[in-house]
Amino acid sequence: MVAESNNLWSNLLLKGKIPSPHFSFFNDRFGVTPEDMRKILEIALTKGGEFSELFFEYRIINSVSMEEDIIKESSQRIILGAGIRVLKGEQTGYGYTNDLTIDKMRHAALTAGAIASIGSKHTAVDLREKKISHQVYDLNRPLHGLKLDSKIDLIKEAYAGAKDYDSRVSKVQAYLVDDIQVVTIANSEGLLVSDVRPQVRLIAIATAEDRENRNTGAYTGGGRIGLSYFQTERTPKHIGRKAAEEAITLLSAVDAVAGEQPVVLGSGQSGVMIHEAVGHPLEADGNRKKTSIMWDKLGKQVANTIVNIYDDATIPHKRGSLNIDDEGSFPEKTILIEKGKLVGYLQDRLSAKLMNAAPNGHGRRQSYQYSPVPRMANTILAQGDYDPEEIVQSVNKGFYAVSYHGGQVQDSGKFTFSVKRGYLIENGKLTTPVKNATLIGTNLQILNDVSMIGNDMGFFLGTCGKEGQSIPVTAGTPTLKIRKMTVGGRR
Amino acid sequence: MNRSDKNLLLLAENLVFYGRKKGADQVEVSIGEGNEFSVEIREGEVERLVEAGSNGLSLKVILDRKVATASSSDLSKETLNHLVDRAIERVKVSSPDPFAGLPEKERIPIHVKKLKIFDPEIVKLPPEKKIAIAKKTESICLSDERIKKTYGSSFGTYVGTTYLANSNGFSGSYSQTSCSCGVYLQAGEGNNLFDEGKFDFSRNLDSLMTPETIAEEAIHRVTRLIGARKMKTQNVPVIMEPLMTASLLGFLYTCIDGHSVYLKQTFLADKLGEKISNSMVTVIDDGLMPGVPGAKPFDGEGVPPRKTTVIDKGVLKNYLMDTYEARKLEMKSTGNASGPNNLYLAAGKSSPDDIIKSVDKGLLLTGTIGQGLVPTTGDISRGAFGMWIENGEVTYPVAEITISGNLGQILKEIEMVGNDLEFKRSINGPTIKIKEMTVGGI
Repeated sequence: MVAESNNLWSNLLLKGKIPSPHFSFFNDRFGVTPEDMRKILEIALTKGGEFSELFFEYRIINSVSMEEDIIKESSQRIILGAGIRVLKGEQTGYGYTNDLTIDKMRHAALTAGAIASIGSKHTAVDLREKKISHQVYDLNRPLHGLKLDSKIDLIKEAYAGAKDYDSRVSKVQAYLVDDIQVVTIANSEGLLVSDVRPQVRLIAIATAEDRENRNTGAYTGGGRIGLSYFQTERTPKHIGRKAAEEAITLLSAVDAVAGEQPVVLGSGQSGVMIHEAVGHPLEADGNRKKTSIMWDKLGKQVANTIVNIYDDATIPHKRGSLNIDDEGSFPEKTILIEKGKLVGYLQDRLSAKLMNAAPNGHGRRQSYQYSPVPRMANTILAQGDYDPEEIVQSVNKGFYAVSYHGGQVQDSGKFTFSVKRGYLIENGKLTTPVKNATLIGTNLQILNDVSMIGNDMGFFLGTCGKEGQSIPVTAGTPTLKIRKMTVGGRR
Repeated sequence: MNRSDKNLLLLAENLVFYGRKKGADQVEVSIGEGNEFSVEIREGEVERLVEAGSNGLSLKVILDRKVATASSSDLSKETLNHLVDRAIERVKVSSPDPFAGLPEKERIPIHVKKLKIFDPEIVKLPPEKKIAIAKKTESICLSDERIKKTYGSSFGTYVGTTYLANSNGFSGSYSQTSCSCGVYLQAGEGNNLFDEGKFDFSRNLDSLMTPETIAEEAIHRVTRLIGARKMKTQNVPVIMEPLMTASLLGFLYTCIDGHSVYLKQTFLADKLGEKISNSMVTVIDDGLMPGVPGAKPFDGEGVPPRKTTVIDKGVLKNYLMDTYEARKLEMKSTGNASGPNNLYLAAGKSSPDDIIKSVDKGLLLTGTIGQGLVPTTGDISRGAFGMWIENGEVTYPVAEITISGNLGQILKEIEMVGNDLEFKRSINGPTIKIKEMTVGGI
């Protein structure tokens, strides 16, 4: 159980206020001073570890759900805890606790430090606070501080948007989730930095029915945004309507024609392809361990020369945007593929050190219960010059993919995307809607087969899973033509 | 043997009392407390070691048939009281829901001990032993010259206790243990690489597979894929290995889950009593089976699991529901508030070898990649790999293929059910043969 705490704090964050990013948050609430942090970081190194790090997290996740025409439930989740990491060579020791008393943290520090068992030494730690220089979140009118009534208005608007779209829409669900995460990171190299991260998501799911068929469509909006997003960028009504539109379209969808064919990937949601096929194989850990197909390809041509891909956490307000990563590194735009040539990996601190590279702000973790690993943030295939219509017109017979159930890639580069909704391309035009297609291939093959790139950049809002950790990401792509891909289906 | 901490059960009961005092009609509080240990070995060295204990609390308040929930890993009294206060405030803006409410109190005795879900040997196992088991598993794999790279091996244990109290008078707790060991490998040459592995899970240390068996299976699973070919699109019989059958049943679960049923997001809504499958198909959820991963004395609402026959010789008999879903559907909770307990396809008579021998030309499905499961329609479309069967024999590996079908149709076309059912996860199945699926390729 947590020790006596200061009532003044009580409830700033719980009352919907946004604190400023500062270590005093954990000091005021739990009495954890920078001096305590310094001591724990030193204790963690007594068994001979080379680097120690503390990650404090306090996070509140609010959600409201609507289904069957009623506001069904509201919930509030609080995640509190501290994780302690010790590195030695390629080794990681990790301990965590949801009890921020000095005793419990000291115990976790000793547990994590036991990874190094040879010798004992004293490493002096001197913490110097760093400030965030560039704010990439919209903290004006945060959803966290919004009254429940106003949140219910948003969710009702999305619900009605779907329900009123077409009389064949039979069931609708809508969820609004807003999240505020306060983190303070301190390490034995003297770093002390804090961040306050908002994250919002509005989801609409619509089921449509006619005499023969029943299908479900979904659409979402959100990011590290404030209320204005739902007024200017993507209104709840639009989100509801897009979900309903998908469900209705799927009613008349046919199964995909299986076999190899030209494929056009639509803008936005196809970002999942960039994320899976390009992003994951370029995370530094798989390359350091030489399991990724890309480990020996740095500096080599891996894609058609028209392809440029980068990851940039500093784009404002996106779902994957970050002021600092979960190791306290300041993210920068990281070029991965330039004119088809592989030029960079997504680095965290551990891999960067072992690969003699600089960290580029891609060390991320789901929560205080996990040690960070290299991850994507906002991964983007740069836009080209083609009008999307021109791209479709260039295909005589092929497949056009709009939205996906998801995708997955193996280190060997083999990937799969499950297409939720697509269209047949016949004589340069989109014709019959298609459901349940699968796209498979290898990342090297698809990168080389990108033959046209559109001028219509769009973004996909995703949740990425790796080693059991889920984190929010964005992936961006304009319309793309792939010369040929294997499409799976039932015809 | 129960290591339950009376203070945490008391905390749950007190919070229930607090919520009632503050005006809630009904309150439910659950607390989970656990200790995790995991070690990952790569190339013979400890790569990551995690050891930690933590706890978390969840609560639900109901007032005028309106619901609000909350959870926290900050267990300070002021935060918990605040969470209850706020939940009671929030509940007022929800809509009344005639189906909301705690489960009726059931007086079913719970024999936690008989469930065999707590093994003191796991609690006692020292870290050095755990590290040694993981190291041994990997080193056996690396001694095989076909294995070029390893993602590493792992060994993990979990020891935890669940506490639940509600305002209908339920108060209970149970402790559980688990251990797991696995290894993931890469084989192949140049740009033609294959990733596969083996992972085993058990509630008891004794019944966990040995490092030798895990290594042997992992090596077999990855090396059989070396030299995999692509293939032409065709409709053929598909044999699913037990892991693949379990994955198919996982999809079946989302189609018989009460929430999907009342929202009509499943093709099996309104199908109770209908023959949906071949009569050799019987699917059961039995959370009271001793020693299996999914056994538990009560679910997340305090309702004891039971033996529920979902499909009885091809006829859809039951959905799996929690209290709310059951009320919406005018049925009774099946004790599935925590998902599937121990869902399985009952074993048949055929040996896996006989099933393979029965196929002239077809696919032995050994792995899938990606999503592509649609409960609303039952449609399935996934990336896949496996072994090609010709004249009743496993011949060469195939990869970069897709499988497509529809669960409704697959259930009707299950032609053979294997005798190799094992209880390794919360969802289990034996080898099965499906008459026909579309295997997509070039």
